[in-house]
Amino acid sequence: MKDKDERGTTLIEDNPLVDVAAYLFLEDIADKQGAAGMNTYLMSLATSLAKSMPEEEYNTWEDFLEALRKGESIISSFEVVKTRTENCMVTQECPFARGWMEYTQRIGSFSNVHYDVAEYYNSNVKPGTINTCCIIHQTFRNAAAERIKVGGKSLKCAQIAAIWSDGVKKIAPDEWLPILLDKAKITRTELNMILRNNADIFVLYLE
Amino acid sequence: MLDVALVSLIQDMSEKAGVEGTIQYWARVGESLAKRMGKEAYMGWPSFNVALREGRTAFSIEGDVTALTDLAITDADGDVVGYIYALKECVFVPTILRIRYSVGEVPKADQAVAEEYNSSIRDTAVCNFCVIHQRFREEVSKNITVGDQPLECSQLAARGFTGETKIAEDSLKKIGINPEYVRSLLRNYTCVYAILMRGARLRGEEVEE
Repeated sequence: MKDKDERGTTLIEDNPLVDVAAYLFLEDIADKQGAAGMNTYLMSLATSLAKSMPEEEYNTWEDFLEALRKGESIISSFEVVKTRTENCMVTQECPFARGWMEYTQRIGSFSNVHYDVAEYYNSNVKPGTINTCCIIHQTFRNAAAERIKVGGKSLKCAQIAAIWSDGVKKIAPDEWLPILLDKAKITRTELNMILRNNADIFVLYLE
Repeated sequence: MLDVALVSLIQDMSEKAGVEGTIQYWARVGESLAKRMGKEAYMGWPSFNVALREGRTAFSIEGDVTALTDLAITDADGDVVGYIYALKECVFVPTILRIRYSVGEVPKADQAVAEEYNSSIRDTAVCNFCVIHQRFREEVSKNITVGDQPLECSQLAARGFTGETKIAEDSLKKIGINPEYVRSLLRNYTCVYAILMRGARLRGEEVEE
């Protein structure tokens, strides 16, 4: 277990064997179903996880942000989410990074299939993923946001940027970025500053 | 997060492919993990046990494993051919806790998979994940040599999250260890197994003959 004092609660760390086994299971799926099949599988995996968690409702945006910071919301169940502005959220550490590091340490390079499927997702669903972990993570956040209402309105989530443990970055396309930064209430320079020491940057807003 | 997502699909997988299908999937994952971790060679048991203690062997991926060096396994001639090892915390426990605090209940398929494994393969599983890591250990031991001898792994006992235990009495008899002693080890450990030289003539087997 790992203390996360900023949340006031404890985030339970997963066992790396379970994570590595899960990666290998996904690779097995990719061998059989190809990139398209695996992409569908990952998206349904993440969606079904979000749907298995209880719905949430908050009276005000402040109430929601407080729950998010304390780790009480679905969106912060598996990671510590910090608020840079009232709409710009960042996570310092990717919840998938530990398993990935264990994989690279014990097995070797991450199988290319994880990057190939992400390319498929970027061109067919939405650009913004680096590998299969990002597909699960981003789909989960979107599906989780749909289960949250603030002041009776549905929450929406949009990915701005992701930085993987090896330093590879994926930033939203140029044509989307100004709109996303505007919603997040940050500038491009601020985004670059945030990118230095965070893993994920996303915007949460109301419909 | 990946672990919780995967567990949320056990029910779905078991409904579509049957619990037998889930067992096959998990066994394949255990095999594939072991194969991809590569080979290891040690001069003798002391060097293997030191590597294990320092987290350098493939077995160490499971977490905090202790070599119970007071429980040496000897062959018919009295030579040491292996030891008993114990895992402090079941690899699946953090996932169970994470499920408890995010989703709620572990899917019923978890126990259904374990029960099917116990009735069709070997009566040693306390949860669905036992399928992966028991197969993993069997396969990984084939890739390790101690004093040029390939190894084999034998599951001896496990304690589940809710306290249920599985003791492999046949395997204990072969290596000449009292089941009650292993049961007492489960107070401090969650999983107990033997690693020994493959094909060794064990004392228990001699007695049986």
